[in-house]
Amino acid sequence: MKPEAERLEQLAERLRAVDPIAPSPGAKIRGWNLVLAAVEQSATVKSRAHPMRRLVVAALVAAVFVVIGAVAASADSLPDSGLYPLKGVVENLRGVLAFSPADQLAYHLDLAQTRLTEAEAMIARHRIELAGKALSALNDQLDDAALVVQAEKASDSTAGAAMESRLQQAIATHDEQLAGLQGQVTNPAAISAITNARDRAAQALETAGTPASSNGHGNPGASPNGKGQGNGATTTPHPSLNHS
Amino acid sequence: MRELGKRASDDDRPLIERVRKGDQDAARILYERYFDRIYNYAYARLGRAEDAEDLAIDTMTRSLTRLDLFKDQGVAFSSWVYRIAHNATIDHYRRHGKVTLVALDHAQLPPSADPSELAVEQLSNEDLRVALRGLTDEQQQVLILRFFQDLTAAQVAGIMGKSVGAVQALQHRALGSLERTLQGRAVN
Repeated sequence: MKPEAERLEQLAERLRAVDPIAPSPGAKIRGWNLVLAAVEQSATVKSRAHPMRRLVVAALVAAVFVVIGAVAASADSLPDSGLYPLKGVVENLRGVLAFSPADQLAYHLDLAQTRLTEAEAMIARHRIELAGKALSALNDQLDDAALVVQAEKASDSTAGAAMESRLQQAIATHDEQLAGLQGQVTNPAAISAITNARDRAAQALETAGTPASSNGHGNPGASPNGKGQGNGATTTPHPSLNHS
Repeated sequence: MRELGKRASDDDRPLIERVRKGDQDAARILYERYFDRIYNYAYARLGRAEDAEDLAIDTMTRSLTRLDLFKDQGVAFSSWVYRIAHNATIDHYRRHGKVTLVALDHAQLPPSADPSELAVEQLSNEDLRVALRGLTDEQQQVLILRFFQDLTAAQVAGIMGKSVGAVQALQHRALGSLERTLQGRAVN
C-alpha cells in the first residue's frame, strides 16, 4: 500500500482536476437582473437618506442662526426682558477675555455704564425693584474697577495713576447722571436706591486711592463678591439697598 | 483546464469604490468576476443547481448592496464574498436541512488492483462531490476552497479566520476523511 502522504497528495490532485460546474447562461442573466434591481433599490434608499441628512444640517444651521440672533438681540435687552440672562452670559464671556489691567478696567466701566442705562430705563418704566438691582450691579462693577486700579497702582504707579484718573472721570460722569435721575423721581424707594448708589460710587473711588495692602485685596482679576461680572441677573440684590 | 472567470485580486478596490458611488457597470464587472466562482462553491456544498443559483444570487446581492459594511483593512473583497457565501450556506442548511442527493451506499466505485487501495484516477467527479458533502462543514469548506476554487492556503486562512498552519492541518484531516469515506464505499 502507498504511504499516506502519497495517497492524500494523489487524492488532492484528483480533486484539483474536477471540472467546475458552470451556471446556465439563463441563470446568470436572471441573477444579474435580480442583483441589479437590488443595487438600484439600495442606491435609492441611500439617496433618500441624503435629504434627511441635509435636513439635519439645515436644522443645525438654523439653530446656529437663532442662537446668534438671540445673542445679538440680547445685547440691547433690559432687565425686564426674557433675553436679559443671555446678556449676562455674554458679558461674563467678555470678562474672561479681559486679560490686562487696562482691559479689565475698561470692561468694568463699560458694564457700569450699561447698568446705569438699564437703571434709568427701569425707573422710566416704574420697575423700581429692577432699577435697584441694576444700580447695585453698577456699584459692584465700580468696586471691582477700584480693586483693579488699586492693584495696578501697587505694581506700576504711573499706569495705576492713569487708571485711577479714568475711574474718577467715569464715577463723576455716573454721579452727574445719578443726580439728574434723582431729581426726576418721586418714588421713595427709587430715591433711596439712587442715593445709596452714589454713596457706594464714592466709596469705590476711596478704595481705588487706598494702598492695596490696607484692605487685603490683591487680585485684580477676581470679583470680590462674585457680583462684579455680567449683569448679575442670577444674583441677589446688593445688601446696601436694604440699608437705606 | 479549470476556468472560473477572472481571478479575484486587489484590483477589485477601484471597482468597489465605483459601486459605492452607484456605478452599475462596476457592479456588473464584479458580478461577472465572482458569480461563476460562487455558483461553483455553492454547487459543491449543496449539490443542486437550483439551490446553487439561489445561493450565488443571494451572495452577490448581499456583496454588492452591503459594501458599506465591507472594510478594506487587509481583508480581500474575495474573502468577504466567500464568507458571505459560507454564511448563506449555513442559513440554507438551517432552513432546509443537510441533504445528500446520492446515497453513498448505492454508489458504485471502480475496482482497484489492491482492494484496500482506492482507484483515485477512476473516481468520477460526481463521486467525489457526493463523498465530499459527507464531510464536516469545515472539512468541506477547506477542500472546496483549496482544490475546487484554486485558492492558496493563505487565502483560505483569510476566509475561514484561521492561521495558515491550522488550514494545512485541517486540509490534511479532510483529505484523510474523504479517503476513508471513499474506501468505505469501495469496501461495501
